[in-house]
Order: sequence, then structure tokens, then C-alpha cells
Amino acid sequence: MDFFFNLFSDPVGFWNSHTLLISQIGINGIIATSMFLVLYSGQLSLAAPGFMAVGAYTSVLMELYWHTPFAVNIAAGTLLAALGGLLVGLPVLRLRGVFLAIATIGFIEALRLGVILNVPITGEGLGLKHAADPLGGVPIILVSLVVTVFLVWRLTKGRLGSAWSAIRQDEIAALSQGINVAQYKMIAFVFSALLAGYGGALEAHLTFIVAPGDEQYGVTRAVQILTFAVLGGSGFVLGPLAGALIVTLLPYIFLQAGPYINVFSGIFLIAVIVFRPQGIVGRGGLAIVRPAWWPRARARAPSPG
Amino acid sequence: MKRMRFVCWVAATLVIAACGSSGNTGGGNSANAYAGKTIKFGAILSITGAGGVYGPQSRDGAMLAVKQINASGGINGAMIDLEVQDDASLAATSAQKAQTLIQSSLDLALLGPTLSNSAVAVHPLAESLKTPILAVSTTGIHIVPDCNWTAANPTTTPCKYVFRDSLGEQTAIPDNIKSYAADAHPSTGVLLVAQDDKFSSDGGKIVQDTVGQYNIQLLKTIPFSKAAADLTPYVTEAVQLHPDVIFITSLGGIPAKIMTGARNLGFQGQFLGGNGFNTATVSKQAGAAGKGARSASAWYIGNTFASNQDFVTAYKSEYSKDPDQFAAQGYAGIKILADAAKRANLTFTDLAGDRDKLRAAMETVNIQTPLGPFQFTSTHDVKQTVWIIEMDGAGGFKLDHQIQPS
Amino acid sequence: MDQQIVNAIFIGSIYALFAVGYTLVFGILDILNLAHSAVFMLGAALTYSLVVNHGQPFAVACILGIAASAFMGLVIEYVCLRPLRRRQAPPIAALISTIGLALVIVAAIEQGTSSSIFSWLWVDGANSVAFPAGTVPNPIWHIGDLTLEASKVAIIPITIALMLVLGYVMRYTQVGRGLRAVAENPRAARLMGLDVDRMISLTLVISSALGGLAGIMFGVALGDISPYIGRDNVEVRGLAVIVLGGMGSIPGAVIGGYLLGVVEVLTLVTLGSGASGGVAFAALFLMLVLRPQGLFGTRLRERI
Repeated sequence: MDFFFNLFSDPVGFWNSHTLLISQIGINGIIATSMFLVLYSGQLSLAAPGFMAVGAYTSVLMELYWHTPFAVNIAAGTLLAALGGLLVGLPVLRLRGVFLAIATIGFIEALRLGVILNVPITGEGLGLKHAADPLGGVPIILVSLVVTVFLVWRLTKGRLGSAWSAIRQDEIAALSQGINVAQYKMIAFVFSALLAGYGGALEAHLTFIVAPGDEQYGVTRAVQILTFAVLGGSGFVLGPLAGALIVTLLPYIFLQAGPYINVFSGIFLIAVIVFRPQGIVGRGGLAIVRPAWWPRARARAPSPG
Repeated sequence: MKRMRFVCWVAATLVIAACGSSGNTGGGNSANAYAGKTIKFGAILSITGAGGVYGPQSRDGAMLAVKQINASGGINGAMIDLEVQDDASLAATSAQKAQTLIQSSLDLALLGPTLSNSAVAVHPLAESLKTPILAVSTTGIHIVPDCNWTAANPTTTPCKYVFRDSLGEQTAIPDNIKSYAADAHPSTGVLLVAQDDKFSSDGGKIVQDTVGQYNIQLLKTIPFSKAAADLTPYVTEAVQLHPDVIFITSLGGIPAKIMTGARNLGFQGQFLGGNGFNTATVSKQAGAAGKGARSASAWYIGNTFASNQDFVTAYKSEYSKDPDQFAAQGYAGIKILADAAKRANLTFTDLAGDRDKLRAAMETVNIQTPLGPFQFTSTHDVKQTVWIIEMDGAGGFKLDHQIQPS
Repeated sequence: MDQQIVNAIFIGSIYALFAVGYTLVFGILDILNLAHSAVFMLGAALTYSLVVNHGQPFAVACILGIAASAFMGLVIEYVCLRPLRRRQAPPIAALISTIGLALVIVAAIEQGTSSSIFSWLWVDGANSVAFPAGTVPNPIWHIGDLTLEASKVAIIPITIALMLVLGYVMRYTQVGRGLRAVAENPRAARLMGLDVDRMISLTLVISSALGGLAGIMFGVALGDISPYIGRDNVEVRGLAVIVLGGMGSIPGAVIGGYLLGVVEVLTLVTLGSGASGGVAFAALFLMLVLRPQGLFGTRLRERI
């Protein structure tokens, strides 16, 4: 287990020689937090990779063609993703549970296969090559992660948070309490799109190429992000973060398994979720997509009201 | 109780995973001799994922070279230690593993990555970390010497640390079209191009730019996504135009699928392809449908270069199957690095200095490899014999033409 | 153009066959079984392996391949689903555990080389392979301008026959009534003396056997078997199909499959091939926005 041995025996050396991995964990943490926001407000949206693509392509295209400064590119990508969130949210947010999940899959794949692969300015299948700074991103990413997590944590503790919580636990009850369900859901969705766009824009500057692969902006990525949140636990903001950390590190945890890394990773996923269905962090959570007849989780916080 | 069971589960998986050992013996510390030292090379290859059709052969070829060199006394007495990492055909993973090999494993030089997609993420990184990297299978555009090329800034300074021993599609595809045009004078063609990876898109672009020179009219370009469940509708579009030639630029299992589909639809014409054709797996998968499909290869099993017969014999006895182009390129890759390391006067104490010395020595490599007499061009690219080969319908290839380097 | 209609019907049949198993589990358990695409791949890979590496006749290999797929259904139930039901976990957890199992299956196949511990299962690693000529009879007929391949034509009656049998079983037999009772209300079904766990096992066995069969037909007809055929080629389109047809509806899945096949091919012919990749998903998106219950869904189930 050289990997963990180095981590403890030579932390500084480890840090310097794994900046890309650490950056990836940070980015995945930001995206996982974006996933947390929608799950917390009772929406099973898998749209994050689509908004990441919006953020990434916008910022890289601006860099390539307008030569605008880094901060401006990232900000533009983030804001455009949020706008995208508003536009996608308007038609889909009346859908619930798995229907919302599948509609958002429709959105990300239509964007990737239908738009990105067919509009010449995106570089189509070639992707966009640009001048990145793969090793210098760590401070920005980690600061962003901390700020993001703190902000989202504050939000969940405030008025917005209690409204989201109420909607997640029982939408009809929330409606009858006079909560503007549609509006609060939209706020969460747009916020989540904004964070995904921000993460996507940052991620694009970690590598020299932005390309429309499935594992980057497609269903594979969406499922991975969902895994962060569900494995980590979606009742508390640190849950998805823990999930992102563990899932990103899985190949290193099982490094000694050699070719069988994914066999062990899969068994590990099953084991964790079977023994801790509510996720690693937190007790409640995950209550959002329960069929009426499915028994309620025993360890669950009492609903408010 | 339940928590205990959970902990046991996790612990058990961890323990099982930890079974297996990683023993590297570091070198001693004496100053100027190679004897008793270890020279560490790393390789980032696609063993799984889309590039898994090619990566394992590169790995096997490279491992064979390491084994041979170590068995015959190493590099001036220093043993090679080759660490192969699978990037699962993902660019981001490729870059992460490259950084670890360069900065944590402290490898002297790297081989790889398998796919052009990953190369554009990894090569500029190796360049910025001043570590020599030798591409053994990437054939796309802007690999050497312009690894830092971007559309906005097309004239970057040449990359100093990036080399390749694989034949670029910019040479291979035009050579292939030229030789077929001379043989059969086709007048029409249709291009089927996978639009979702760089290698395939690059190849498609080269076909489009080339056909005109040989009076072949490109009737249509049909892009498709590799995620399409069935390519038959796309192939039907192509076949219904009755072209003389169908050009295919794609990876993995797709070329064989297209050829089978087209033959079943009654297509009688010629298939011309790119580097994606050049492995036995593709020829085997296509079977009779692939018979006659032509591509330009960097290597041919029957070539008469001095070291090729030795390579083929050794590979067969090691892995009990025939090598292919990717195996030959992986094998040549290690031979090239070893030759450079031998002449570089490595210090084994100053890694950055050693990497620079190795880089300089690579520029003057002049050895015999299964690919032929090998020297890098001034742009770190290959200049070698090109073999126009065709699938024999039974999982192998036969030679049509041999084009000498100009 | 005519040939393209044949193509559309063929690919529609593959979608339908894949989606019937998918939708069956959803209809009864309200769970999206994401290991279904891995079972699809496993059926094809194992059948290939039995024929080519173990020298079995194709028919025997097919039966064993389908049996192994059915067995995977039990694995899904006992490893991924039942422990979660016992722990009263939310169904989204089942989504993750089935993803985990899919990861294991795909990894076992892609690492299956002659030196691996999975060599009995598969030796071609990440490669794509096709049945060697002669191992599977596949005559090709030319009728006018049309080309018909036996391996593709066969899929259509098989799909329709299976749908009819499944429809009959669900509607008129004791087992079918039990399954529907579980789908409607498992607690009530249990109170009525039904063995709910057994019913669920049965559902997964049937669904996975269908998935394996779909994989074999895909592999034979397209000459493409690799560890990634499930994940890359049918998984997401399968989702689109069951939504188009109405989640949980078996006839819906079949008609949805054909519809998607036709839409994809029509777009290719009229708008060009670049657009056809995205159109399935644009259609999926629009369908959900305009008519979330699908074409044949009767009620909107807000579940996963």
C-alpha cells in the first residue's frame, strides 16, 4: 500500500506529487455538493454533467477566442450554467422521482450527442485543446470547495433549508403549509446548476483538452455523481463530500488488487450501501424517492410539523 | 453487532485487496557506474476501455523487451523496472497516473499513452515536468512536436520532451489511399467516421483532405457516435450510394462491425482504414467480411529487418500468439529508451539532470528495431518504412506494398 | 429507404427485448435495475465463450448463457436487493447496489484474459469479438432491393412471442396474479399469504433471462461482443424506451422499442447522421415534459 504509506510518511511529497488527484477530489466535491442541493430539496436530478459541460465549454471558448482573463471565463461559464438551469428547470421541475432523473438524462445526452458533437465551434469530437494549468489549480479548487460547502451548509440551516427539507419529506404537506414548492425547488435547481457549472469550468482548466466523452459529460458521469451523494449520505452536506472522496480514491484504495480493482470497488460499493443504506454520513436522508409501500427507514429523524 | 459485521466486510475486502506485493529494490548510492542500479520507466496504457483493443499488446511488447534486456545483463549492468498503469482509456485518469509516475514513482521516462485523446492531456504535462515521454501508439494530429498546439495559438515552440515511435495518420492514411488509387483507380468514396474521439475525428479529417489529390470523389461523410446500438442504418446510407471505397476511421470493435454490416448488405467495393485496423483482433472479428480491407501499418510480421525475426520468435514463445503492430511499437519503445539510457551517462543521483541527459540521448538514437533501422526526425517523429497490408479474412494480414521512407 | 425500414424494425426489436426485462422489474419493484445491462452483456459473452473456448454447440451455449443470466437475477436479488429490503432502505440505495454489481460483472469480463482468474468466463479482455463464421447459421436473403439476415429477422418473432407469453402469464395465471398483487401493494400481498420474496426472485429471474437472451441476439446479429456492449450501446436507450412506453408497461416497452428504432433511423435519413445520436434523448426529454406517463402508462408513478 505504497499510496497510503507515502501519504503518512511524506505528506508534503505526497501532496506535491498528487496535485492532479487532489484537484480531482476537490472538483468532485464541488459537483457532489451541487448534487446534494437538489437531493436535499427532494429532486432526483442527474443534470449536473450537462451544466458542467456548459461551464467548461463557455470558459474555454472565451479563453480561446476572446482571450479574456481566467476569472472572467470561469464567472461567465458559471452564470451561463445557472441560466441553463433556469431554462431546463422550467419544463422539468414538475416531474418527480425517477421521471425527473430520466428527463435530465435526456437533457445531458441531447446536449452532448446532439449539440456538442454537431456544432463546429465546440471542436466536435476533437474537443478543444487549450493552455491549461493542471498543477496550479489546487489552492483555487480547495478554497472554492470550502466556501461552497460552507455556503450550502448555511443555506440548509436557514429559511430556504427548512423549506427544502419540508418539500423533501412531504411535498403535499409542504404545499398545504403555504410553502411555494415550485419556487423553492427552482431555487435549489438553479443553485445546483450554478455549482455544477463552476465545477465544470474549473475542471476544464485542469486538463489541456475539453472533449465530449461519456465519462466526462454523459450518463456515466451522472451516475458517478449520484454515487457520491448516495454512498456518502445525502442528509447532511458533508455526506456527498465524503462520498466524492471515497469514490475518487477507490482505484487507489484497491491498488494492490491490480487488474481486479473494479471487481473490488464494486464489491465495496455493494457492501457499504447494503450495510449503510442511508449513506456513510448522517442518519436520515434519501427519503425523497420512496414508493408509498416501501417501509420507512428505521433510523430516521422525525418530520417537522 | 450490525456495525461489527459491516466493519468485518470492509476489513475483509481491504485485506484481500492488500494481498499481493509490491517489491521495488532501489539502487545503491555509488556515483558513476550503472552496475547494480535500477532504471525506472513507467508506462501509461489503455488496458481496459475503448483502447483496450490495443494497449495490452503494447504492454506485452514492452515487457518482453524489458525481460530480454535484463536477462542479457541490463543497461550497462543496471536493471530496468517497468511499471505499467492502466488509464482505462480516460484522459483525466491518464494525466493523474502520469503525474504520479513522474513525481511519486520518480520514473526516468514514460511510455504512452495508448490513445490520442489521453496523449493531448498527458504530453503537455510531461513537457512541463521536463520528463521524456515516448508515444508508442498515438497517431493523431498535433502529437509531436506541437504538443502544446491550440487553435488560438497554432505556432507554439516545439515540445522538447515528447517523442513518438508510432506512425502518424498524417503519413499513413495518405500513403494508403495513394497506393490503393494507383492499384485500382477508384472514383468514388464514402467516409464513415466515429465522431466522439480525437483519433477517429483526426483520421476522418485526413481522409477528407486527401481523397481529392487522387481524383476520388467523396460522395458523403457519415459521422456516427460509438454509442449507437446498431450501425447498420449508417452503413446502409453508405452502401446505397454505391461507392468504390468505404473509408472507416474508428476504434476498437467498430471497424469490424461496419465491414460485416456492409458485406451483408451486398457491398462489393473496398474498405480503406487507419491505424484502428492494424491489430489481429480487428481482423479476427471482421472475419471473411474484412478480407481485403487495407490500411497502412508501421510494421508487418513478415518484414525482413534484422531484429524482427528475433522479436517475432521471442514474442511467440513468451505469449504463444503472434505479435501485432502495437506489440512491435511497445517493444521498440523500450529498446529506444534503453539505448538512450545506455549512452546518457546517467548519474542516478540527479533525477532532473538524468531526464535531460536521457532526452538528449534519445535525439541521437540509431538502432535496429522490428520497425526497421530507427532514428527520430528533427521533430521527434518516425521516419520509417510503411507497410500497406490487407486483412486475410482469417484473423491475419498479408502484405500488398512496401513504401520506403522518402 | 426500404432497407432502412428493415433496419429500424430490427434495432427496435433489440431495444424492445432489452427493455421488457428492465420494465418488468420496475413495474413490480419500482426499482431501476442498473445491473440489467451487465447481465445483457454477460449473456452474450458467456455464450461466445462456451462456443469458441469450450467447444459447445451454439444451441447448448445459448441455453447455458440464458440460464447463467437467470442465475444472475438471483444474485441481484440476494446480494443487491433483499438485504436492502430487510434493512428497509430507500429504493435509491438499490440503484447504487445494482451499479456496484454491474461494475463487478463488467470488470470480471474486461479482466478476463488467458492468465486471469476469470479465464473460464472470457479470454478476450477488453476486445470486441464476433462468432467465427459457421458457428452460428446466418443465411442472408435478397428480396428485390431488400437484404434480410436470418439472425436479425429471427429477433422479431422471438420478441413478439415472448411479449405475448409474458402478457398471458401476467394476466391469466396464478403466478401473474401474484406478481401483479406484489406490484400493487406488497404488504397486502403478504397479508393475503403470498410469498412476496419468492415473487420478487421470480421477477428478477425472468427479467435477467430476457436480458441475457437480448444480449445473445445482439451479439449474434451485430457481430459485436465486448465487455461494453451493455453499458455503451443499450443501457441509456433502454431507459428511453421504458419511459416512451410508460414505466412498467410490458406492451409499452415493446412499442416504445420499435418507436425509438423508427425515430432514430428516420432522423438519420432525413436530418443526417450527426443529429440521430441526440434525437433519442431529445425525444425522451420532450416525452417526459409533455406526457410523463408515457404512451401507454395509465398512471404516473412517482417512484424509483
